[in-house]
Amino acid sequence: MKIAFTLNGEPVELEAPASVTLLHLLREYLGLTGAKPGCEIGECGACSVILDGRVVNSCQLLAPQVLGREVITIEGLRASDGGPSDLQRAFVEFGAVQCGYCTPGMVVAAQAFLDRNPAPTRGEIREAIAGNLCRCTGYQQIVDAIEATAARRRSTKGGRGR
Amino acid sequence: MTEFAYLCAHSLSEAIALLNEPGVRSRVLAGGTDLINQFRGGEVDCDRVVDVAHVPELRVIGTNGRVTIGAAVTHTEIIESTDLQESGSLLVKACRQIGSPQIRNIATIGGNVINAAACADTLPALVCLGAEAIVTTAGGEQRLPVSDLVTGVNRTSLPQGGLVRAFTFDLPTAVCRTSFMRIGRRRAMSIARLSVATMGALDAEGAISTIRIVPGAAFARFRRVDAVEEMLIGRRPTPGLLAGAGACMADQFLAESGGRWSAPYKRQAIAVLTERALTEVLDS
Repeated sequence: MKIAFTLNGEPVELEAPASVTLLHLLREYLGLTGAKPGCEIGECGACSVILDGRVVNSCQLLAPQVLGREVITIEGLRASDGGPSDLQRAFVEFGAVQCGYCTPGMVVAAQAFLDRNPAPTRGEIREAIAGNLCRCTGYQQIVDAIEATAARRRSTKGGRGR
Repeated sequence: MTEFAYLCAHSLSEAIALLNEPGVRSRVLAGGTDLINQFRGGEVDCDRVVDVAHVPELRVIGTNGRVTIGAAVTHTEIIESTDLQESGSLLVKACRQIGSPQIRNIATIGGNVINAAACADTLPALVCLGAEAIVTTAGGEQRLPVSDLVTGVNRTSLPQGGLVRAFTFDLPTAVCRTSFMRIGRRRAMSIARLSVATMGALDAEGAISTIRIVPGAAFARFRRVDAVEEMLIGRRPTPGLLAGAGACMADQFLAESGGRWSAPYKRQAIAVLTERALTEVLDS
């Protein structure tokens, strides 16, 4: 079937079976391999993308469910100069990346969260990434990176630093 | 996954027509967070899915006189509804416990009910609130208590070709307090090992005037536990009485669920969970 939606700000339209998940549409049909296949049953969050401003597991959506909607993947998150965003730089700065497999999902989840809650508590940050498993870092550095990004964005008076 | 077609319904009548088209095996798709896992596991097979997530009649939240929540409302939308935070706080508490942000942003209350998992978090809350499901079929609409709609683990009495349009329940009285407690292996992304939804109130003399208690992942069906409620009503909520109510709940659980492998653990856990939930609701 024809699947048309907005992907990282650009309209896309392609043919794919209705039974394909959004994750596989992104990876196999569109060549965007940032969203990762992890558990593929909605437990690990490695496949997280932003759908109409909300973080979702792309493994648990059929591709046609995003018809006419707006999807943002890790490939769509960057600073205005095309380099890493402030949040992505903070992940590097705080050592929030080890093997890196969970990182795209973590960044996507954190981005969607900070867009809605620019002044979160540490507890709220932990809840926001509760659906993203990391087997390496122990989470502290990830929470540190998100917390620091929120603080820096607030201090630049609402500047998003993307 | 097996091949199937996808159609998006834009109205309730269109959804019912598609679900009842002769010769086509259709499945309702709302959020899909359970259904897609079942497709992947080869547990379900169909010719097409009918996406009802955007059907306007399934997307309403109304709190005028009686609470009405469309079946395709997501858990996040329930949690963020300022109206429901006041009038449906028990349901809001239950929805907060579900999965992760990713799941809550897509999964719907109708899906949680119709999937009818033993550990479903909305079910104890809805049954405790006395909620009815408004079921739409080709023949019209009927109201069914949620406790009758869900007939067992992954089993419902939803008629073939039918659809739950919404859930509706009376506004709890202002003096009622509610509690939703659950035990899982971790706070997020865990299924409930046990849960207890409770609402209750005290009269002017400090005696229990209202009490409803519905456990989850305990009994074969989601229902109020009369034996526990009867020993509480009209009495003062002393620590001894509430501990006794916990013991009574454990007895009921053992009598109905018998010697399953988890019984030695759940027998003690449900007693403590019941006592804590009652204390939260009835502590003056």
